[in-house]
Amino acid sequence: MAIEYKKNLAVFSDFVGVEEAEALLEWFLKNPKGKINLSDCVHIHASSLQVLMAIKPIISVESKDEDLKLWLNTVLE
Amino acid sequence: MNNLLEQFLSEGRDFLQGIAEKLMQLENNPNSTPLMTELFRFVHTLKGNSGLFDFPEMTRVLHASEDLMDAVRNGRVNYSQELADQLLEAMDFVGILMDEIEVTEKIGTKHAIPAAELAKALRALLGNPESETAVIEDISPKNNAVISWADLPSLKLPESIAEKLYRYAIDGDAVFWLEYKPESDSFFKGEDPFFLMRQVRDTLWRKVVFNNVAQTLEEMDAYSCQLAFQLLTIAPEEELDDLLRYVPDETKRIEIPALAFVKPQGNEDDHPIDVEFINNALILLDVGDFDALTHAINTMLELSASELWSSSALRWVLRLIESEPDNKIAQQALLESLQTLIAPDWSEIAQTIPSTNTTTNSSTSVNSQVPDDSLLLGFHEVMNTQREILSLSPHLSGAWSEGRLKAVAATLLGCYRAVNHDYESETDAALQLALAENSPAPLLALLESSLADISKLSETPKLEQAELVAESAVQDANFGRRAEDVTAVAGRRSEDATAVTPNKTLKVDQEKVDRLMNLIGEMVVAKNALPYLANRAETVFGVRELAREIKSQYAVINRVAEEMQDTIMQVRMMPVSFIFQRFPRMVRDISRKLGKEVELVLEGESTEADKNIVEALSDPLIHIVRNSLDHGLESPEIRRTAGKNAMGKLLIRASQESDRVLIEIIDDGKGIDPDVIKNKAYEKGLIDEATLERISDQDAVNLVFAAGFSTADVISDLSGRGVGMDVVRSAVEKVNGTVGIESVVGKGTRLYLSLPLSMAVTNVIIIESDGQIFGVPMDLVVETVRVKRSQIRTIKQKQTTVLRGRIVPLLSLNDLLARNVEPLTNEDDEFATLIVRVHGEHVGILVDNFRETVDIILKPMTGILGGMSGYSGAALLGDGSVLIVLNPRELI
Amino acid sequence: MAKTILLVDDSVTMLMSVKNNLEINGFKVETAEDGLKAMEKLNAGLKPDLIITDINMPKMGGIELIKKARALPGFRFMPILTLTTEAAQGKRDEGKAAGATGWLVKPVSGADLLKIIKQVLPGA
Repeated sequence: MAIEYKKNLAVFSDFVGVEEAEALLEWFLKNPKGKINLSDCVHIHASSLQVLMAIKPIISVESKDEDLKLWLNTVLE
Repeated sequence: MNNLLEQFLSEGRDFLQGIAEKLMQLENNPNSTPLMTELFRFVHTLKGNSGLFDFPEMTRVLHASEDLMDAVRNGRVNYSQELADQLLEAMDFVGILMDEIEVTEKIGTKHAIPAAELAKALRALLGNPESETAVIEDISPKNNAVISWADLPSLKLPESIAEKLYRYAIDGDAVFWLEYKPESDSFFKGEDPFFLMRQVRDTLWRKVVFNNVAQTLEEMDAYSCQLAFQLLTIAPEEELDDLLRYVPDETKRIEIPALAFVKPQGNEDDHPIDVEFINNALILLDVGDFDALTHAINTMLELSASELWSSSALRWVLRLIESEPDNKIAQQALLESLQTLIAPDWSEIAQTIPSTNTTTNSSTSVNSQVPDDSLLLGFHEVMNTQREILSLSPHLSGAWSEGRLKAVAATLLGCYRAVNHDYESETDAALQLALAENSPAPLLALLESSLADISKLSETPKLEQAELVAESAVQDANFGRRAEDVTAVAGRRSEDATAVTPNKTLKVDQEKVDRLMNLIGEMVVAKNALPYLANRAETVFGVRELAREIKSQYAVINRVAEEMQDTIMQVRMMPVSFIFQRFPRMVRDISRKLGKEVELVLEGESTEADKNIVEALSDPLIHIVRNSLDHGLESPEIRRTAGKNAMGKLLIRASQESDRVLIEIIDDGKGIDPDVIKNKAYEKGLIDEATLERISDQDAVNLVFAAGFSTADVISDLSGRGVGMDVVRSAVEKVNGTVGIESVVGKGTRLYLSLPLSMAVTNVIIIESDGQIFGVPMDLVVETVRVKRSQIRTIKQKQTTVLRGRIVPLLSLNDLLARNVEPLTNEDDEFATLIVRVHGEHVGILVDNFRETVDIILKPMTGILGGMSGYSGAALLGDGSVLIVLNPRELI
Repeated sequence: MAKTILLVDDSVTMLMSVKNNLEINGFKVETAEDGLKAMEKLNAGLKPDLIITDINMPKMGGIELIKKARALPGFRFMPILTLTTEAAQGKRDEGKAAGATGWLVKPVSGADLLKIIKQVLPGA
């Protein structure tokens, strides 16, 4: 799985595909204060990107992928 | 021989066989679509396969065959014996090539000429032998036009990034603005717009906009793409085209010129940069002493806080000097912008032909002169108040305490000092006398006499000032907020005369004002529910007392709501000078280019209207002014021969007429010849011959607004100004405005736009039709009448009636809305008829019944409904129901 | 983790050529000779990462295949590319309208093929 859900933290890894968006949104609805760990994530499908933009969660660990980090910084601040 | 080639040959022979069979079957059954489709597929696949190898002769013949079969399949070419022969011959040739390939794995050069001839013969049957290359299409997005300043996005970049981009652009690296708005269903096409954008190389700035249509997170649809991507990149053009080739309609790419990045930003300065410094800098620039200029700017920068707007502007001047030392116009514009704190409009400057001695016309004296004038105003105000206090109760013994008299005296003394008049001894004497008499009379006497003295003294300078201000308003109109700034300063000073108050101006985000506007809109609607409630209290529950109380509370809420609405509207008000300010420069540039002499006069710049209205005015006005300069005003020679002043006059005037703004554009040019317009309109088929005979001169002139009147040849050979006037009209109508024209041949033309002051509240009449209610904007309604069935005549299958001696066509609203129901009549067999004015004509709309008129907040339709032009929007009524508002202009 | 591609074309030559190219670049390739056969494979549980399909095929063409495949559970977001000739602008648009992500132009070179697949298939 590209997203592993822990108690109050969603851990993203590799390529987060389009299928994940719905579950991600649902998870945030249940855990409105949920944080995300992007450390090992290299890409997030646009659908999940817009979920993140709607929620604006706290990023506990930024992505190691510099380009993704740049994009997300402009989006989630 | 490799496997692929072997496979190709074996499959290819099967296809050749299949093609021959199908052709034979077609001989007996020439109209069979399945046969035709099969045949095409064989040829098509074979051609596709041949492309895998380097067999140009074979591909060429097969390509021509495929095109021919495609034409036959689509019915563009008829199947014939000759065609079949030609195709069979071509396939035989392909077979020969295959045999040769089987042996030598290549095609001998001797086949090149026969291949070309065969292809030519096949294409001859198509009817266009030369089109061999035409089928190869350009797949790059075509909608990316060349630079146009008007299309440029307004960029808000950090200065460091803007600087970087500017340097790239100056160094010749094209900087592209890329905007990508995927369709909302793009995920269901397997697209990942974010991934696509991440593949753009050399992105220097990026932004993602998420436009969530859902009200709540629960309602959000993660799979409806609501994103828009924007970025700036220096990636090569071809690479971008290639990357975006699947989504050309959803992307916009614009090359950004270097100057567009030159945009000072920062905090507004409390104390604008000294005019002296700016003038000095301009002189240094003029003489080309860059060293001194750089030095002066650096010194200034050291003295100023770096986050100020002016500091940013100065840094840009330095960068321009370094990168574009010859672009004096840009450097000058930036320096001049320091006075106004408004970034230069590069689109206008970019058009300017560089000229060496453009002098500045900054008037240094204005600031020091004007405050005196306003100070006097403040002085008079305070004096008037004191007079009122003194006249309160002249002989009420005991009421005049010592303290009150002393206070008035102190105030008067302060006022005299403020206007530099020494009345110290007089005031003191008057106070003593007043105290002794226990009467305000002595002070009152002093007040009156001093007022007379002071206004006499100040009369002379006041006159001078008025002239000065007027002059500077005309000359410096392109310096934007000058006039307002001056009043702002003045206003503050006059306050200072009484008490020290801080500047009370507040900068508010427009979004907040809009939100406030929406809220008050809802409030107005919500309060409208109260009368309903009162009515129910009385009729349903029978508590008349409560009904009355609700009504009286409603009156209070109504007043407050209306006042709130008024106030918010005023916040949104904006002077038309906002758009007028660009005209001096524009008129100068265009008239110079055209070799015309034009004097531009602007009047009523302080007239205010809603921000949206003012902004909507901008484009139409530019259009009209350009037209006046282009086609209205003559060249100096022609004007002289016509006995006119060589210098033409263009007057742009704004004024307020009750709840509308009137903008007039008046020139003393050659006017519009109605005969020329008539003939042109007739040629274009806009009017028929009968109309041509009858049409009045004024109606003929009005034809310039007709859609389809304006075309290129009109510009070239006609005195008229039909250039895009229909565009102007529709732009103005979009904000509920009207436009008109008057012209006298040889004397000039007057164009006028009348616009609402604000667009927030719409007054509509509610009508019933077929059991539903609709709103119709009152500004279109001429009157409501009841037409007897017997008064309706049918002329040319159209229902009409005669109203005040005028034939009015009648349309049934049910028909217009495609409801197949007769309109209802009342007991007297009369139709309720709404007379509306549409495109200058009166038309009657038959409805079932009229109801009241209401003020509503009109919300435009969105989504699929947004495309239905017959409706202008919807609004909430007081009882919570939705009212659909019709747009008769489009409906009829 | 090799990505799987379902390749659909009625010409065995074309299948062979494209399949070769894809396999050289490390993809796992499944093939079908027309839309019907492709649907059979999908119904049998094949879940490729990408579908590349010809348009003009007997029995079931590419456009119909795209529409049918999109309706299957798990296929609504799958990237699908059509394989067309340079002349068929109309077909490309038709394919996009039916739900294709993009198109490949026959004959497609190995480099182009790889470049385009990388663009539509994150992680390829």
